[in-house]
Amino acid sequence: MDIDFSEEQQMIVDMTRGMLNEHSSIDVVREMEDDPKGYPDALWKQMSELGLNGLLIPESYGGGGQTLLEAALVYEELGRALASTPHFVSCVIGAGLLLEAGSDAQREEWLGTIASGDAILTLAWLEPDRGYSQVGVAMQAKSDGDGVVLSGVKRHVHFASSADRMIVLARGDAGVDLYLVDPNSDGVKLTHQLSQGSDCQYRVDFNEVRVPSSARIGAAGSGWTSFDKIMHDGIILLAAQAIGGADRTLLETVAYAKERVQFDKPLGAFQALAHYMADASTAIEGGRVLVHEAAWNRAQGRSISRLAPMAKLFCCEAYRETTRACAQIWGGVAFTIEYDCQLFFRRAKQLQLSWWDTPYLEERVAADVLDG
Amino acid sequence: MDFDFSPEEQKFAEEVEQWLVDNHDPVVMDPTRENFTQLADTPERRAFMKKLAKKGWLGMSWPKEYGGQGIEGVYEFILNEALARHAAPQIGKGVGIIGKTLIRHGSEKLKKEFLPKILAAEVEFAVGYSEPQAGSDAANMQLKADKVDGGWNLNGQKMWTTSAHFADWYWVGARTDPDKAKHDGLSLFLIPMDHEGLEVQSLPTIGKDTTNQVFFKDVFVPDDYLVGTRGRGFQYIAEALDLERFTLFTLSPISERSRVLIDWVKTARRDDKPLREDPNVRRLIAHIATDTALARCLSTRFLCAAKAVNGKPPSVESSQYKLFTTTLSQRVCKDALDITGAAGQMREGQDDAPLAGRFEGAYRATMNETVGGGSSEIQKNIIARRHLGLPKNF
Repeated sequence: MDIDFSEEQQMIVDMTRGMLNEHSSIDVVREMEDDPKGYPDALWKQMSELGLNGLLIPESYGGGGQTLLEAALVYEELGRALASTPHFVSCVIGAGLLLEAGSDAQREEWLGTIASGDAILTLAWLEPDRGYSQVGVAMQAKSDGDGVVLSGVKRHVHFASSADRMIVLARGDAGVDLYLVDPNSDGVKLTHQLSQGSDCQYRVDFNEVRVPSSARIGAAGSGWTSFDKIMHDGIILLAAQAIGGADRTLLETVAYAKERVQFDKPLGAFQALAHYMADASTAIEGGRVLVHEAAWNRAQGRSISRLAPMAKLFCCEAYRETTRACAQIWGGVAFTIEYDCQLFFRRAKQLQLSWWDTPYLEERVAADVLDG
Repeated sequence: MDFDFSPEEQKFAEEVEQWLVDNHDPVVMDPTRENFTQLADTPERRAFMKKLAKKGWLGMSWPKEYGGQGIEGVYEFILNEALARHAAPQIGKGVGIIGKTLIRHGSEKLKKEFLPKILAAEVEFAVGYSEPQAGSDAANMQLKADKVDGGWNLNGQKMWTTSAHFADWYWVGARTDPDKAKHDGLSLFLIPMDHEGLEVQSLPTIGKDTTNQVFFKDVFVPDDYLVGTRGRGFQYIAEALDLERFTLFTLSPISERSRVLIDWVKTARRDDKPLREDPNVRRLIAHIATDTALARCLSTRFLCAAKAVNGKPPSVESSQYKLFTTTLSQRVCKDALDITGAAGQMREGQDDAPLAGRFEGAYRATMNETVGGGSSEIQKNIIARRHLGLPKNF
């Protein structure tokens, strides 16, 4: 039993943190807020050059061939920096789905360019007034000759304006299918939407969009199984991201609590406030181990059907609660735009609501524990 | 990174598991009593501890020169978790607190006298830190130890000494230097429990345990029975408390409670429907399972930290572990009663009590977990100061 990083893993952490300090400072993060493109080119280029975009892609496709554990270390740093990048939708979900179910041709065409950052994939999954489960996918893929026709609306499509392809979840004759769709296709309309976390997301209207059968990823009707599997990988990384954000919020708040004097004492000398920070640190330290355990199990080829939802459920709540408690310590300045506390507070809640929210994760855990 | 036990550790875990199955004793391993059997002084329990001693499983992490095996504390962790899982008594404070402190700081005489007896399970200890005016504030102990010819004369009172009614020896903190700073004026002593001038009065608690108050009237302790250096008592206590958090607050009782509750929910019915279909129940179970996994992570962290520092107690990790798990332990019992509903109020032994009244009893007994061994608030102070570097706040 050993929860320390290897030398190589520590190097990945140091390298990522150093690069993000330079290319994803708080000023950069603020510039990207509500931006219709949503990510800085310099940051994206650096991530590609350091091999972070290809981290999970096999070496044979030009990637780094690392495991989910190394990716979790990177995601804690991305969360710490509030880095605004399409990495998750492109390099984790997009590349993951192609690796899981893509044809040789699809992998050849996309994996190398995803790794190099030259191509960006995104995911068109959620629909208005529909949930996270399989029944939430209502968009019909109507067969038409040697292709399908897609009509409907998708929301929360991240970085859609920069994407070379969207992976669209739609219901075909055999069940849910995944299609690679060019956002520039006839009948696709993108509308930039503003979110709580000021990230880059779009509503995408599909009006009789024709795609060829060859654009389908995997066998007919297998889309949901592939998607569900890759989402388990994805939520472990988002849990790591949450821990990174929570940890930075706490550390910056601790530093403030040592300096800021009220009633002739530093804020940190008040037990009421010190105890908020002690609770937050306990949740963060435990959550981090849970993330690593989940990622490590995945890297060992073991089931993560229970650990992955637990990790996101716990870590996102820890992030939200840490930012709430820290806001109490910052006091009135916490809710001014000038101070950074609000950046983390908003993103914490948005992350909790996104990519499987609390009720859905609770149900996943309960199902695994009670119905298995 | 590796979350598995090593092959040797895994082999030991299997050996312990098999031994516990082969040596099942329904009196000692009563699942409704869980780890509270620790506090039940029965002939069966004493016999069981001797069996553990014969296996060489007491004091495994002690150095070989003192009769231990000189192996890592992870083996004691594995043993303790298995014992708790089987609702058997754990290796206890003789091995974990008194033995380890004597090895670190005790005189040759005290080591010679007590260490072999601890390893042979021939001696029971009570630990006396708390007083009416000194609970969590251990440095505020007022029990007086006045220097007299050849020893010390003790007068005053202790509170919350859980096993004083059956222990053989008392491990007790007293104020030897009233003029020094609070933390520097305390020393530790070993006193036979049947010593003249010691009076034990039992105090029933809302759990099944008895605790005690102990009165000292001119109790003479020879110089030889002062532990370590005069005035270092508080430092020894703080060090031992870090160890106690690890050895006394095992995870298995909580994991076992979660498992028992989940198994029950899987088959229970209400209003002709499976209880597990109730969305509120599913939600509670999801959080119990998740937080139990988190508690395991904090124990893993503690275990790895203990390995990394070569036996030095990892105080921050132990405080975080204790803070989280004791709160969770209470919450699991509370949630279990909410899930069982009105019937959950029935006490152990009542025919209608769901789960044999186990959670009703545990609900009451767990009240002391966030208070004893350093309250949650003390743990938070430790984390705030030692981990986050926040200024002293009390």
